[in-house]
Amino acid sequence: MMIGEIIETMSTGFVAESFELNQPPALGSFVVVHAPSAGPSVELYAVVTNGRTVGVDPSRRPIRQSTAAVFDQAIYEHQPQLKHTLRTEFSAALVGWATEGRIRQHLPSRPPPLHFSVHTASEEQVQHFTHSLQYLRLLLQTVAEVSPLQVVAANVREVFERRDQDRDWLCQAAREIAILLKSDHEALLNVLQAIDPGEADPANSALARQSSAIAPDPSRRGSRP
Amino acid sequence: MPLKLAVIGQQMEQMAESAATFVPVQERFVEQAQALLRRIPADALCDKLDSQRLQQPRIPWLVASPLGSMSGAVHAPAPPAEVCVVGGDASSIAPDRHSSLRYYVLNVGVAALTYGSHPDARLGSDSQLCFRDEDLYLFPDKRDVPLEGTLLGTRMEAESLRALQRATQSATLPTVALRDGPLILWTLQNESELVQSSMLHAFLESMSVLQQASIPLGGYISFSDAHDVANSLRVWLCQGRPNACERCDSEERDLCMALAKIHDRELFSFLSDGQRSELFGSSSQILKLYGEHRVAFFYLNVGGEIARIETPLWVATDPALLGLLHAATYDQCRRSSGFPPYPPALLEAHEQAVITSAERRLIEEMVERAMAGLGLSVKRSAKDDSKRRRGV
Repeated sequence: MMIGEIIETMSTGFVAESFELNQPPALGSFVVVHAPSAGPSVELYAVVTNGRTVGVDPSRRPIRQSTAAVFDQAIYEHQPQLKHTLRTEFSAALVGWATEGRIRQHLPSRPPPLHFSVHTASEEQVQHFTHSLQYLRLLLQTVAEVSPLQVVAANVREVFERRDQDRDWLCQAAREIAILLKSDHEALLNVLQAIDPGEADPANSALARQSSAIAPDPSRRGSRP
Repeated sequence: MPLKLAVIGQQMEQMAESAATFVPVQERFVEQAQALLRRIPADALCDKLDSQRLQQPRIPWLVASPLGSMSGAVHAPAPPAEVCVVGGDASSIAPDRHSSLRYYVLNVGVAALTYGSHPDARLGSDSQLCFRDEDLYLFPDKRDVPLEGTLLGTRMEAESLRALQRATQSATLPTVALRDGPLILWTLQNESELVQSSMLHAFLESMSVLQQASIPLGGYISFSDAHDVANSLRVWLCQGRPNACERCDSEERDLCMALAKIHDRELFSFLSDGQRSELFGSSSQILKLYGEHRVAFFYLNVGGEIARIETPLWVATDPALLGLLHAATYDQCRRSSGFPPYPPALLEAHEQAVITSAERRLIEEMVERAMAGLGLSVKRSAKDDSKRRRGV
């Protein structure tokens, strides 16, 4: 589904204006851009790293519109011009590309063209792309407004759901993250807490136990078992 | 810094002190003027204004003739459940006397806001570069009367009204057309009758189309500095001739002189939220050319400000159209997020019409580039050039 148009583009990612006000794609979700190609079609894969809604004119700051009787969604019916004076945009980090059914998890050679459409990735595309987890390394190195740890966690949660709660994939992703964050136990724990699908104490969850085997807590080093 | 802020600072303090003394005195006079407003029978005032008009020399001020009572107040009717308010505004880049190339830019903004079961908004602008003789001169055959200054301002008014009229063409809901600024184009007053009628032609034509479509038109003036009604009170108080104040020894002289500084918006500060005054006719000479579109006005408490609303007589004399204009204008102000409020349809039309300083520079650069593409250059006056360089 077409959800936006690229309004700023660079080798590491792009910013797109969302077609729907206040509805950027979910943080961490996959989006796809069909890049122009003389040969076979090329799909660029990116992960949403930020979403925001601002005034169309940067010199006009949004101001409070609610009253005691008119608030939340009713404001948009009361002030129909807001649909035109506000805009929602989202940033996405490029994490790979696909051509002729082959997935490459590294930056494409060229950024996507300005004003090209951005699509949500289909279930099939998400499953296909996340078969390999190399892209998580690229995602962790993203420089964005939102912490890359939170983006990675959001991405794993999102993919877990889109893969029909595939626990094997989740454990594999947790192991990959543990390898990538083995020198930063605090950060690892943060991500594991954020991706855990619902155990009471995430620090003792299966995911954490599994990952701790790869990246043990340095503060416990030398202590008695 | 050549501007002597220290000197100006002292003068500012003096100005503030002067205002501090003036305000309480003025407030007392406003109360007296409002009492007078309530006392005067409208018919008697109209008679006095008529008799003064016959005398020579004429009344030196712009006066208002009441079309109802002087101090009547009318509550705002409820706006229709489904209503569309179309706002229009315009701006321009004036011809540059210091450039060898003569052109101007017009930008007309329109905002059509629909309320009700299907809320919607259409915002847009219409921009044009005017460089042909028929754009630059009112009488292009003779290359006479260049369109600049006041006349360019009038052209903008006419264009914004035309845009309003076009935007309301396909209206299916009850619709109100609001313009930012007056409908009485009094700035044309000093022009020849030929210039006046030529300039007014398009303006009045658009009003006719709106009239045929039964779409009430309002000219919205925020913080109006008009004195028309206050001037009528001065005529009422005047025992002699209104242009011989220096010889006046009437006991009402102090109030009369104070009225010269009282704005109508202060006079009507007794209106409560949503209430409008009764209608008044203007004595502006330009209205003689308006025919059936002669303009009346009323004051409206929009909730934080007394705004002046000008409207053609065909609206003023039709209770349904007048009620719709009153209700929709007040409803607009209730939807405003600012205080004092301002109609969102006019705010958005302004945002569409406004030309920023960056855009002005860009237009200049684009014109120079277009000329350079054909091997031509735009010459500028030495004065303008030296101001741009500002060398030391």
